[in-house]
Amino acid sequence: MWYLRGVIQFYHVQKRYPNGTDALTDVTLRVREGEFVFLTGSSGAGKSTLLRLLLVMERASDGQILIGGRNIHVLRDSSVPYLRRNIGVVFQDFRLIPRRTVFENIAISLEILGIKGSEIERRVNQMLEATRLLNRAQAYPGDLSGGEQQRVAIARALVNEPAILLADEPTGNLDPELSHEIIELLLSINRKGTTVVVATHDTALVEHYAMRTLVLAKGQLVEDRPKSARADKFLAGERPSQMERASQSDRQTVPMPLDRQTGPLTSLIVPGTAPTVAHNATTTTGPIPSGAGILPLVGSPFSSSPVRMTAPVPVLEDLPEEGDLSAPSDGTDSGGES
Amino acid sequence: MKRAPRIGYVLHQAFLLVRSSPWLTAVSALTIALALTLVGLFAMVLVNASHLMHSLGESLTIPVYLHEAATTPDVKAVEAQIRQRKGVKSVKFLTPQQDRERNKQAMTPELLEGLDEAAIPGQPVLEVELEADLASRGDVEELAKWAASLKSVKSVDEVPTGAEKLRLLFALVEIARTVGLVLSIVLLASAMFFVFSTIRLGVFARRDEIEILSLVGATPSFIRLPFLVEGALQGLAGAIVAMLLLGLLHLELRGLVRDVHLLNLSWSLMPPGMIAWLVLGGPTVGLTASALSVGRYLKV
Repeated sequence: MWYLRGVIQFYHVQKRYPNGTDALTDVTLRVREGEFVFLTGSSGAGKSTLLRLLLVMERASDGQILIGGRNIHVLRDSSVPYLRRNIGVVFQDFRLIPRRTVFENIAISLEILGIKGSEIERRVNQMLEATRLLNRAQAYPGDLSGGEQQRVAIARALVNEPAILLADEPTGNLDPELSHEIIELLLSINRKGTTVVVATHDTALVEHYAMRTLVLAKGQLVEDRPKSARADKFLAGERPSQMERASQSDRQTVPMPLDRQTGPLTSLIVPGTAPTVAHNATTTTGPIPSGAGILPLVGSPFSSSPVRMTAPVPVLEDLPEEGDLSAPSDGTDSGGES
Repeated sequence: MKRAPRIGYVLHQAFLLVRSSPWLTAVSALTIALALTLVGLFAMVLVNASHLMHSLGESLTIPVYLHEAATTPDVKAVEAQIRQRKGVKSVKFLTPQQDRERNKQAMTPELLEGLDEAAIPGQPVLEVELEADLASRGDVEELAKWAASLKSVKSVDEVPTGAEKLRLLFALVEIARTVGLVLSIVLLASAMFFVFSTIRLGVFARRDEIEILSLVGATPSFIRLPFLVEGALQGLAGAIVAMLLLGLLHLELRGLVRDVHLLNLSWSLMPPGMIAWLVLGGPTVGLTASALSVGRYLKV
């Protein structure tokens, strides 16, 4: 039985479009299993192309891409669906099916696996609870706020417990408060062992969390910034930003992290450093929008243990053996079988 | 191991597809219904025509009239000649008197009134009963040829086979069969075109949905299945409507024949085989059309 591990490797990957444009040039990188990585760069830098290559929505023009040690460069078209079942994906525009309810949208990821109805119900309800959408199960995407829609998209991406989660500008359509909510949700998912790659051009968000950051510019990988000590705290489930936020009792008035705020106070903030409570308490006003706020991570399936709660969905059963690659691999985390 | 999608899921999605374009679906189903009804009608006409021919053939008795002067050895010789033919069930000799008696019985009392007994035709005759083997025009021609050959035998006066009438009947049936076949093909093709177009519109309207399903790892067959089931459902609906229409036509026609012609025919317009044919034929037409449409327009 095949499982795909959450290791991503790029070796001298190039993507050239038929019109001669180079979307990616000689990109070599490695994302370890269980890592949380920001992929950043300006529009057109190649972030989306990189994600599209991982999803085999496009094929690389040159170089090799390995996911879980499997060379997707030589993957047959008929095997692509089985690869995608190991990769959850979240988009800026949510990509929910408007004709289907929240429940049905999330259930799709399980329906394609041919899982029986009662099991689908159990697992979707578990996801709905984890993403605080239980009371919206029968609503249609059009009736939801942006934050809720993105949570549905995340729930759909995760309900079959993929090894890797790709998020393409997941906060692009959300206000800063909801953006943090979504990133924290992704962090809690990462703590469960899922490799998370978030493509974003929101530099403030990237700097706030200080995770490992891959910077693309004009299709080239120009910087690979390691995570900071502050990121370790986020990854450990602590909230260094907690001091920026209000306590649970007065969350209503202080939802916004400082480095996202405008006005004279922001000039005092050095990116990557923790601001003080005093700033928050005095500068943020107004009630938070409905559906906003910090997700209750305690008790959610993502927070109970640092390992997966249930066995991963067996996939790639039909994936051919052709994925083996001659390109270098250290063998420690590139194995495709378990 | 590949697992099939849940039947409940596929049916639910197919019903959603139907519900999202009810009018188009209704038009497609009605076109299928119309096509199947007409195909069914042609089939009924052909089935009943062939029944009629079969019953004609069953009681096929040909009189071989002999000259008045025929002697007993002549009659024996003619009979021997007749018996050489395959499929002769019996040969019965009637004297002129017996023939006259028989003709008399066929006449109404009004006609017989004041009629001289000698005016009623009576002639020595060999009544030949043949096995039913008239399946085509060729058989009729063969029978006519045989009758003509008998005429050259000594003492044989006349052999009326009714081949002219049979020839006409067979020609009519053949025309009906050809016209029916061509019309059925045209109607079924147009019904398939409607289903094809309905499915195509459904596929276009759901391009986003198809892309999302593909991105979350749905196989092409998983994505296509609801569209195929939608086509089959349209065909099934068409078949049900066609059955109702044929059933009504059946009752109407039977009533008409009974009232106007005072005949109680034992024909059946809706044999069980035809019902099974419709139930299978409708969904097959729908499925084929949707498979063509999905194959052409649903690229995953």
